[in-house]
Amino acid sequence: MLPKFDVLTDEQINKIHKNSMKILKEIGIEFSYDPVIEIFKKHGQRVEGHRVFLEPDFVEEMVEKAPAQFTLHARNPEHNLVCGDGNTIYMPGYGAPFIYDAEGGKRDATMADYDNFVKLAGASKNIHMTGGTVVEPTDVPDDIRHLKMAYSHITNSDKCFMGSSSGYEFARDSIEMTAILHGGLDVIKEKPALICLINSVTPLKYDDRMLGGLMAYAETGQPMVIASLVMAGSTGPATMAGALSLQNAEVLAGITLAQCINPGTPVVYGSTSTASDMSTGSLSIGNPENALFASASAQLSRFYGVPCRGGGGLSDAKTVDAQAGYESMMVLFAASTTGVNFVLHTAGILQYYMAMSYEKFMVDDEIAGMVLRYLKGFDCDSDEKMAFDVIKTVGPGGHFLTQKHTRKNFKTEFFRPALSDRQSFDAWAKDGLDTNQRAKARWQEVLANYTAPELDADVKAKIEAFIEKRTKELIK
Amino acid sequence: MSTIFDEIKDAIVDGDEDLAVELAERVIAEKVDPVQAVQLGFIGGIEEVGKAWTNGEAFLPDVMMAADAMKAGMDVLEEVLAAGEGDGGYEDKGKIVLGTVEGDIHDIGKNIVGALLTSAGFKVYDIGIDQKAEEFVAKADEVGAKIIAASALLTTTMKSQKTLVEYLNDNNLRDKYKIIIGGGPTSAKWGEDIGADGWAETADEAVELCKQLLA
Repeated sequence: MLPKFDVLTDEQINKIHKNSMKILKEIGIEFSYDPVIEIFKKHGQRVEGHRVFLEPDFVEEMVEKAPAQFTLHARNPEHNLVCGDGNTIYMPGYGAPFIYDAEGGKRDATMADYDNFVKLAGASKNIHMTGGTVVEPTDVPDDIRHLKMAYSHITNSDKCFMGSSSGYEFARDSIEMTAILHGGLDVIKEKPALICLINSVTPLKYDDRMLGGLMAYAETGQPMVIASLVMAGSTGPATMAGALSLQNAEVLAGITLAQCINPGTPVVYGSTSTASDMSTGSLSIGNPENALFASASAQLSRFYGVPCRGGGGLSDAKTVDAQAGYESMMVLFAASTTGVNFVLHTAGILQYYMAMSYEKFMVDDEIAGMVLRYLKGFDCDSDEKMAFDVIKTVGPGGHFLTQKHTRKNFKTEFFRPALSDRQSFDAWAKDGLDTNQRAKARWQEVLANYTAPELDADVKAKIEAFIEKRTKELIK
Repeated sequence: MSTIFDEIKDAIVDGDEDLAVELAERVIAEKVDPVQAVQLGFIGGIEEVGKAWTNGEAFLPDVMMAADAMKAGMDVLEEVLAAGEGDGGYEDKGKIVLGTVEGDIHDIGKNIVGALLTSAGFKVYDIGIDQKAEEFVAKADEVGAKIIAASALLTTTMKSQKTLVEYLNDNNLRDKYKIIIGGGPTSAKWGEDIGADGWAETADEAVELCKQLLA
């Protein structure tokens, strides 16, 4: 595994840390949810209305309680994932309401799209888990969307997945379903199996919905990503150091809260901070600032001793074109090589999280494969790998194509493209397909050949019964 | 020699709220024609900023700060303008009530729309975030607005836009106002589905939409 490189000096880290602590102590942060206010009062922190002022010593003491790494358990133990410890975990995009197609069209995402993206993630060797809210299935009533989404992850793949964080009640439903899958709440309390995404509302706020979700996951010892998205220039200062300090303050406040509720509960330090587009005020994500924020966040989370989430195959392009490719590669590569562990939005995202694209998913899957290969670096551990003997056998002027050593090693040493075209011009020109068209053919082929791993019939029946019961309760 | 109108115009272009207020107070104290102050000073300035923005020379902070400065200065002049002082009357291009729907506390996009509408000559009443249908309607009724603009950033709060339209239908007020919606997850189709009068994807398009609706 490659050593991770730093983008901040130790002195810069200290300045950011102190600035964030000053923000939390002197400006404070607003939590709209009353139960949370009670928790901070009980821990002796100053509270005015819904604004909480956190003491630096207290924040440091609480953040210290969070584990440096944890294992997320899949129903197939081969897919268990260690979050932290230099690992990189890839998964699909999260939360997009639209689908952009290969022909340049736009439509609402549906439950059928949801199942498809879970299957594509399940089929990929570069995508380690199936993610969560892979699209917003707009054809399902939002009272029961979380149930249908969890069911899709559970039945279409045996990899790890994410649950709802949309308020306490929905979060508890996701946790209950995961508990049934793994044999009970006690089992997943011992072996965490569900992770969710908690977002602050920048600047310096957390809303009811997210705080309810945070409480449900913390209470049951399920991990959560606690993330801040500072749009530098609009929801945060236009300086990189200022925006990073603000993000850091928000994330630390969230981690502190989670540790107050359940000391030692696993958390991931999350960042999606980026620069605003200053002409329109809109979010923009496929940029060097986003890459820098992801890298700096990885470094800050090493400083605090927790795993990190950031980066992704991020782009502002509306279709699978050159912009989609170069932006996504930049942000994913930077995040991965500087030590981000949990990479939400690795595959499929177009136009600053607004849309998922099947073609983009396949392009990002390819990028992910390339980056994962890069992260493996050089293997110098054996004579076999150093290859002196074969160099001697071939000697000056020969070639290595017919050596056993070559045949034995190239498959594991080299990245093999699934999408990129390496043919001659004439061979390519026969069909003349660009990346977008090749990606379209590829995802259709993968879906057509995908078989979901079998799920125990008894477990499946119990989960379906739970969904049926909750649907009756939730749809009035 | 520069006139007070030029000074006002420069204050707007510079986005200097304090100076805009100070100059508006001077307009009243020195009994300068308020309508001319508005047209040559405030509107002159905001139009210049708006043009630079359209040409890609000015950025959002320039436009938003200019709109804030204009609003602050115009508030000072409101009384003398309402009293009909000055040469000819001053009239805004239309009144618009703007807010983020119930359950949603995002306000940047809404603020941008507000600034651009202001810079286009509309009088904008921003009622803030997390607002119930009745709050939108109460404000529109109070100020005599023709357009109600409702923003939502979350897929979970879009339904509050629908609630707003339904509230107007239930209270037989639907014909009194034009409802327009916007925000990240919304779409033209969603606007049609809930029976809104219009949808805009960007702040620019929202300005065009309001111009069309009030034409």
